[in-house]
Amino acid sequence: MKRTAFATGAAALVAAALAAWSTAATSGIAAPAGPRAAKKLPPLPAAIKQRKKWVVGVKCDTPPFGYIDLKGHNAGYDVEIARWFSRFAFGKANRVSYTCVTTATRIPALTSGKIDLILATMTYTHARAQTVDFSTPYYVATGRMLVPNGSSLRIGSISGKTITTTGGSVYDRWLSKCFKNTSSLLFQSPSLALAALKEGRADAEMFDDSFLLGVATSDPSLRLTPDKFLKLPWGIGIVKGNKAMKRWVDSRLAILKKKNQFSKILKQNVNPTLFDAFKGNVPAPKRTLKYPATEEQELACP
Amino acid sequence: MTLAASSWSLIWANRDVLLHGLVRTLEASAVAIVGVAVIGVVLGAARAYRVPVASQIAAVYVEVVRNTPILVQVFFIYFALPQVPWVGVRVDEFTAVCLGLMFWGGGFNIENFRAGFEAVPQRYREAGLALGFGGAAIFRYVVFPIGGRIAIPPSINTYIAVLKNTAIAGPAVGFAELTQVAYGIIEASLRTYTVFAVIGVVYLLIVWTLSALIRLLESRLALPEARR
Amino acid sequence: MLAFLPYWVEPVARYMVTEGLKVTAQIAGVAVLFSGVAGILLGTLLTIRWWPLRSLIRLYIEIWRGLPLIVTIFLVYYALPAFGIDIQPWLAAAVALTLWGSAQIAEATRGAVESIPREQHEAAAALGFGWLGRHTFVIVPQAFRRLLPPLVSLLVNVIQNTTLAALIGVGELLTTGRQQIETLLFPPPVGTGQDHSLAILGAVLITFFVISFPLTRLAAYLERRLV
Repeated sequence: MKRTAFATGAAALVAAALAAWSTAATSGIAAPAGPRAAKKLPPLPAAIKQRKKWVVGVKCDTPPFGYIDLKGHNAGYDVEIARWFSRFAFGKANRVSYTCVTTATRIPALTSGKIDLILATMTYTHARAQTVDFSTPYYVATGRMLVPNGSSLRIGSISGKTITTTGGSVYDRWLSKCFKNTSSLLFQSPSLALAALKEGRADAEMFDDSFLLGVATSDPSLRLTPDKFLKLPWGIGIVKGNKAMKRWVDSRLAILKKKNQFSKILKQNVNPTLFDAFKGNVPAPKRTLKYPATEEQELACP
Repeated sequence: MTLAASSWSLIWANRDVLLHGLVRTLEASAVAIVGVAVIGVVLGAARAYRVPVASQIAAVYVEVVRNTPILVQVFFIYFALPQVPWVGVRVDEFTAVCLGLMFWGGGFNIENFRAGFEAVPQRYREAGLALGFGGAAIFRYVVFPIGGRIAIPPSINTYIAVLKNTAIAGPAVGFAELTQVAYGIIEASLRTYTVFAVIGVVYLLIVWTLSALIRLLESRLALPEARR
Repeated sequence: MLAFLPYWVEPVARYMVTEGLKVTAQIAGVAVLFSGVAGILLGTLLTIRWWPLRSLIRLYIEIWRGLPLIVTIFLVYYALPAFGIDIQPWLAAAVALTLWGSAQIAEATRGAVESIPREQHEAAAALGFGWLGRHTFVIVPQAFRRLLPPLVSLLVNVIQNTTLAALIGVGELLTTGRQQIETLLFPPPVGTGQDHSLAILGAVLITFFVISFPLTRLAAYLERRLV
């Protein structure tokens, strides 16, 4: 009796060890890849391996994706993905050095070699794809419209109205292209556009759901229209031509997608109300995000 | 550098936008300078004459302006002022730039005019008294013209500084003056710093011309006895 | 800590001081140090009656004093990589501030050195000092007294102008403040869902004032006592 119990226990232990080993191998954590390990994953690019650290460009003023939390640490959805990359590469989450970038500085920082990757809410555009390589999408933002509470404005009825958004943004261009008889009130930041809306200088604000949802939640005098427009997938910026890096990044993003990790990361960074609204924007086992095939499709009119 | 050719063509292609930027720089500077001049004369006189309350407020105002960065002043006016209870008002970019520059320049100009008014030699004032002028008339016919003349060279320095500081206020709030326009060009083209070199030359030309003007005026404006 | 303040004040303040103010001090320290050294050197050389050298230095001074400081900062930050020099943003800001600051100090040094009476030069020469020797050991040390007020003024100006580095993305005090404003703007748990620009920008203003005001007073005092 004791011997069978012992044998069962030992077999269970061995099975558990094998399972753990193969899981470790498939997730890329440093474990000797034996012949029984899962299919080979792309190796870490040599430059990063040598430096033993990632240098990643992130936003530092865009919650909940890239911001500085109240303790002074980089935090957010993008930052968490960077931490996962650190775990995949080095087994620890803290082998990352974050560089604060802005929309204007992120691509120059990559092309001048100051950072390895851009993880900074960067929307895919064909124009940008000429200068940098994009990973597979890791988030898709949707355009939404914010109106005062009593307004019955919808996207179909904005003709002749004043819409406020940020200058040079995809909304700015989309409005000029598809809604020629609206007037645009442009600002440098969405917060300023919001202020204009609240003062009645505009009839509606158009911007990413990530920003407007937060506003609508905290401000009872405003609400979002049900309209959703423009799919804006975000990608990780990689130095053009660095195929080894792209293979590594794409493979690890696929792993995170399979383990539904993106949802979990999102949950850590937003409260439950916002999570329900955003959870359709992240990759999931049954949801693959895609880039628009042509430049035309980027700004498709409704 | 192979970039050089394409950099120049980039600048040439954008010459309209850059020119507009320069015009806006001059517009904002002009408005701000008028405000700075008025603040300088009015509050400078208040300081020189030790007008109660006004003099103290002006003194505090001068110290605040001299000891805080102009960029923070501009940000405060553009982002934080709207939240101040009662006096809070949200302004657009152009107004924010003008107000910011007026606030900053005014603080310095007060000292220029205070020193100018106080430098009017006593005997000029006594001459005015001898002629039967009262205090207000002495200011109008003696102190203001003469003190103002003394104050012109340093105040022109302040006005030049105001013009240079449009380059700070513009990018801070996104007002499309010359530097912000240049910044927008390199943002879009992702390279080339040549455009900054070009606008640098533009600023230098403006500043050097105005400074040369001061030097010319300085000898002309000096008081008669100082010229000897 | 002060219990009546909202929960976010302490961590935000700590972050802004330990990270933001630290970078501000870093930039200002480097800039003032090298401005002083380079400025005194250039100003002394400016007194040599050899016009090619004087013209060159004069050109240097007029350019870096004539350009808006922000344009200098942009130039340095964007031009250096094109020439292969790759430095961190804060250092680019410090270099730009040094160019400007050294121009100011050079001008002040020229005035101070030229104000030293001829007798000092003659006495030093009589003792066997050459040009370099007498400037190093006799003239410049005496001129230095006259330089203290402008040096302190420069320190104040540089400290305030470190904020311009915010426009090239350096994490100095103003930038850290603005980052925290954005964080606090977002709904909980990330932030508070409210706009705290007034409090934070106000705090930044007050911080600069508290640092600069004593130094400005010191410069005025030195001006009265030493010149």
